[in-house]
Amino acid sequence: MGDAVVGVMANPLSGRDIRRLVTQASVFPTAEKASMIQRMLTAFQAVGVSRVLLSTDLGGISAAVYRAIGQRRSQGVAWPEVEFLDGQPIRQSAQDTVDAVRRMVAAGARVVVCLGGDGTARVAASVIGDAAMLPLSTGTNNAFPVVREATVAGLAAGLVATGAVPAADATSRAKVLEVRAGGRVEIALVDVAVSTERHVGTRAVWDPATLTQLFCAFAEPDAIGLSSILGQLAPTDRRERRGVLARIAPGAPRQVLAPIAPGLVAQVGVTQVELMRPGAVYPVDAGAGVIAVDGERELTFGPGDRPTVRLRTDGPRCVDVPAVLAASARLGLLRRA
Amino acid sequence: MTDTLERKSLTREQLLAAYRTMRAIREFEERVHREFATGEIPGFVHLYAGEEASAAGICLSLDERDTIASTHRGHGHCIAKGVDVGEMMAEIYGRRTGSCHGKGGSMHIADLSRGMLGANGIVGGGPPLICGTALAAKLKGTGGVSVAFFGDGGSNQGTTLESMNLACVWNLPAIFVAENNGYAESTASSWSVASDNIADRAAGFGMPGVIVDGFDFFAVHEAASEAIARARQGGGPTLLEMKFTRYFGHFEGDPQTYRADEVARARAELDCLTRFAARVTETGELAQADLDAVDAEVATVIDKAVAGAKAAPLPTEADLLTDVYVRY
Repeated sequence: MGDAVVGVMANPLSGRDIRRLVTQASVFPTAEKASMIQRMLTAFQAVGVSRVLLSTDLGGISAAVYRAIGQRRSQGVAWPEVEFLDGQPIRQSAQDTVDAVRRMVAAGARVVVCLGGDGTARVAASVIGDAAMLPLSTGTNNAFPVVREATVAGLAAGLVATGAVPAADATSRAKVLEVRAGGRVEIALVDVAVSTERHVGTRAVWDPATLTQLFCAFAEPDAIGLSSILGQLAPTDRRERRGVLARIAPGAPRQVLAPIAPGLVAQVGVTQVELMRPGAVYPVDAGAGVIAVDGERELTFGPGDRPTVRLRTDGPRCVDVPAVLAASARLGLLRRA
Repeated sequence: MTDTLERKSLTREQLLAAYRTMRAIREFEERVHREFATGEIPGFVHLYAGEEASAAGICLSLDERDTIASTHRGHGHCIAKGVDVGEMMAEIYGRRTGSCHGKGGSMHIADLSRGMLGANGIVGGGPPLICGTALAAKLKGTGGVSVAFFGDGGSNQGTTLESMNLACVWNLPAIFVAENNGYAESTASSWSVASDNIADRAAGFGMPGVIVDGFDFFAVHEAASEAIARARQGGGPTLLEMKFTRYFGHFEGDPQTYRADEVARARAELDCLTRFAARVTETGELAQADLDAVDAEVATVIDKAVAGAKAAPLPTEADLLTDVYVRY
């Protein structure tokens, strides 16, 4: 079957934006991200992962792991071989995530663990191809990534990478929203929001008064972020082959209280809630503004760009941690006697 | 939360003011860079070119109630806070007509009437000062805020960390702006700042810490206006970390052997003025003609400032004994 290779992509800038200021979004310390990686290395070792590819960064995460590897070696305790993906310029932007995940996939990684929030997962998803993704929550909005203890996530990723758990039991395809505007294409894993803001600015969206339209690949009632608006009105599961969209207007007859950002429960007016069929192309009404993908302003558009949104069902394959470990229990993969 | 209507879509006047500030800083620094090479300017200068969006984005939301304290790299903060460009240039040339009568030079330009507590040759000297002015504003109930600018080197100074602690325990209307350009003189911040992100230190003091793209005027302005509104409303201090690059050396004459050619890429791909101009003309908020008119006006102002400085008298012997004490 070949080497079981796992990629670990850690975003040093997740959880550092303006939502620390305008809401009470949590701060996820760099040291904790580094510790999570170390916990995963222990788990990988336990289930036979032979090689780990780790992204490099200027935020202290890979440096801390590098130090820990040195210390561990002198103690004679084993971890899998860790290769630091070095040599390319670090831009301190989303491009670093793109470059790292591309290199991991090209090097044969079967699973890529992404430490970050919705934004990190979204960017990784755009280049992960057929490798499986395990998005582990360390960001602000975590509608998409899972909140799961890193050791357990590491066991699941390792069992998938070694092929011990069959792919059918291990992963499921996520839905994706594809946005096209004036020649640019972006994807979102959770939601696409149309804003009257003029500029990308600090990227975050925290003022519902600026929203005019919302498209959701899925909308869970217990989600955090913009999708929670429709999560209360038209709950839509991750596995269903449909999405949901609506128009947002402050004075709309239907008003819902939604936790649109950590620490922010806003009253939002919603009209014209509709199902999104996979493959159908839905136009954006506004003539100009900014489109936010997964809660971050990304695409500015003006007259003539005519943005559209389409739901696709061929998004990244995501590791289903509970399913993997349930399969492991069934198959006795972690039994040693 | 802030009155978000204030932050919505900057007006035409505000956008022009922002562009003018950034353009004035850029042209001022590029000109000083050229003039310094003639040997006519005494002392050292430390140029702010590349970092304009930070000063402009933050000071746009400040008014006459507010104070700022700056660093040795202070020309940008001075211009953004409204200090007279002619007086600044004369001060840099050490002339009697300068902001400080030629006695302070580049690193000590100040104008208390504009709330500009001064550029400062002491690394980490600004933060304690703004704790004082912030406390005064709080006690007097003016609604004013105080902003301390410091660099990545300054972020490691005891005075800066003590000031953050004090501002938090006293809930002062203070904004700490860490302008992280990657180098403290020639020492890389990736080597010397233990937390790597300066903003990460804020959590230790219990205040919000936000990382901002320092090349993006709109990102800076959004983050700053939220922090300033929060401080005005009694919400306490905030730490903003700008990440960007300075275009020139630490000082004029710096051989810059400690860094590779990141400036070329920054000027080509990240420049705050280029990006601002592209955005506002794309949205139609301003026309290229508006920006060109500002460029022409700024060029005239800078020319006049340099000519005026070169022609101005030097301080006399009698001036040695003035400006030593303050009369209350």
